Amino acid sequence: MDFYIGLLQVIGVHTLLGLSAWCILHTGQVSMAQGGFFAIGAYAAGMLTAMAGWSLGPALLIAALIASLIAIAIGFPALRVKGLMLVVATTAFAEIVRLVFFNLKWQVQTPNGPIGPDGGLGFGGIRYFPANGWSGLEILTLIWCLVAGVMLVLWLLDRSRIGTLWRAVGEDEVAAQSAGINLTAAKVSAFGIGGAIAGLAGGIFSHNTTHIEHGNFTILLATFAIAYPIIGGLKSLLGTLVAVVFIQGFLIEGLRFLGDWRSLLFGAMILAIMLIRPTGLLSAPLRLSLFNSKRNAPVDDGKTGAGHA
Amino acid sequence: MLKVENLARYFGGIKAVDGIDFDIHRGEILGLIGPNGSGKSTTVNLIAGLYAPTTGRVTYEGQDLHSLLPHERANLGIARTFQNIRLFGQLSVWQNLWAARVVRETGWSGLKERWFSTATQGKLETEAYLEFCGLQHKRDQLAANLAFGEQRRLELARAAISGAPLLLLDEPAAGMNSEEIEDLDQRIRKLRDQGKTIMLIEHHMELVMGVCDRVVVLNFGRKIAEGKPEEVQQNAQVQAAYLGSDSDDAFMQAALQA
Repeated sequence: MDFYIGLLQVIGVHTLLGLSAWCILHTGQVSMAQGGFFAIGAYAAGMLTAMAGWSLGPALLIAALIASLIAIAIGFPALRVKGLMLVVATTAFAEIVRLVFFNLKWQVQTPNGPIGPDGGLGFGGIRYFPANGWSGLEILTLIWCLVAGVMLVLWLLDRSRIGTLWRAVGEDEVAAQSAGINLTAAKVSAFGIGGAIAGLAGGIFSHNTTHIEHGNFTILLATFAIAYPIIGGLKSLLGTLVAVVFIQGFLIEGLRFLGDWRSLLFGAMILAIMLIRPTGLLSAPLRLSLFNSKRNAPVDDGKTGAGHA
Repeated sequence: MLKVENLARYFGGIKAVDGIDFDIHRGEILGLIGPNGSGKSTTVNLIAGLYAPTTGRVTYEGQDLHSLLPHERANLGIARTFQNIRLFGQLSVWQNLWAARVVRETGWSGLKERWFSTATQGKLETEAYLEFCGLQHKRDQLAANLAFGEQRRLELARAAISGAPLLLLDEPAAGMNSEEIEDLDQRIRKLRDQGKTIMLIEHHMELVMGVCDRVVVLNFGRKIAEGKPEEVQQNAQVQAAYLGSDSDDAFMQAALQA
């Protein structure tokens, strides 16, 4: 039972992480910095509860805010670079964040001994949940309430003006500009909101595991973060959740009995998914994807004359 | 309305636009024509702000556009279409129009208007322009899946719905058949009747000569003629530019006499 509760907790945290990347992908940018924002949230929230004695709610809020502000600061220079250059720049940022935490030593004395980030040894003793007697199930409930809340906010956002503008920028920046859309505002707001969600996810993550270290926040984490919404399909928020369940639940845990073969199958399955559903798991009704060539054919209403596309 | 003064843009040693002047007057349809590579599209991109000019300046209603970004120029009142259609492909027809419309709704009044009244101004306008481009029956289709002519119409409607009084249409008839061009002609006139000012960059002589009040002719980045369509047609320099010095190009000849 504990195993399934733990798995569902991981799925929840990773869904939040995937949703943070979803925001930024919507504006047509690929950010590898999500792992970095996640790490910032994790350390910030952990330090606030374990070292400063805050309660969890405000700590998560402030952690999300800090991650968001740093994401906005990253978003401005990121406007100058596009595509692969942005991937390189944000990867560099994520590595810098990781190395900062690798070297960060800042401990305070408590009755239970020194507590705080201890460089390469990591940051242990983030024991808010055990100290306040939370059970695994209660933590799980909290995580999924947050997931639901974030999804609701993003769902509303996607239907609002901001969502439309994000999508328009993601489709064609030049056309969006010419339609009067402020690229800076669109991209930076996506970074800010994405950063806040990643920071929130990180804060929950550090309290759930009670011990974090720089090795939790490698480039692999950032890769997962953007893989979820891409594999799930950018059209719907639920796609990200489905992709997390598929990867974390099925490919990583479900195939564990295969031993060493699992890694091999992991790659093959991802490849297969991208071949069968090139625009994401939930992008369109399944039967249509088998006839992709037909769906993309130009539509002729009979009035405009044929043979122009 | 719009004033272009000594505008120039060099790409390395190539003088794409080499010091041109012209005005666009409120309420007119101005044609900007010229052979391939004469600098028409560069001129549009300079006015819209996608390129910075090498020299010269553009003023809109007396305001220098020099330091304004493309979206600021659009919000000021200059909308455009593109030579190669640029729609938001994975958005529906309706969303394409909606995106260009909602940009104007900012702050709390925009929010209130959108969420707390049943038939909002924005939605009504979007419906009206959907009808204008004749795509009501395809409102929920992805723009990328439309036929070529429909995409052109949608792009025109997207420029118009932005509310900008000045529209820059970059070769809207490219790739269209004669029926569609006739249709486009009607739509352009309709926009003018709605009070829009239009600059039409075009290759298709029949359309230009039919619909334009005034024509500016470019060649090698310089203005070689300006005036009423029938005057420009008679201009020897223009004929030379289009036909070459020994004029035996029957197609262009026919086009000029259209």
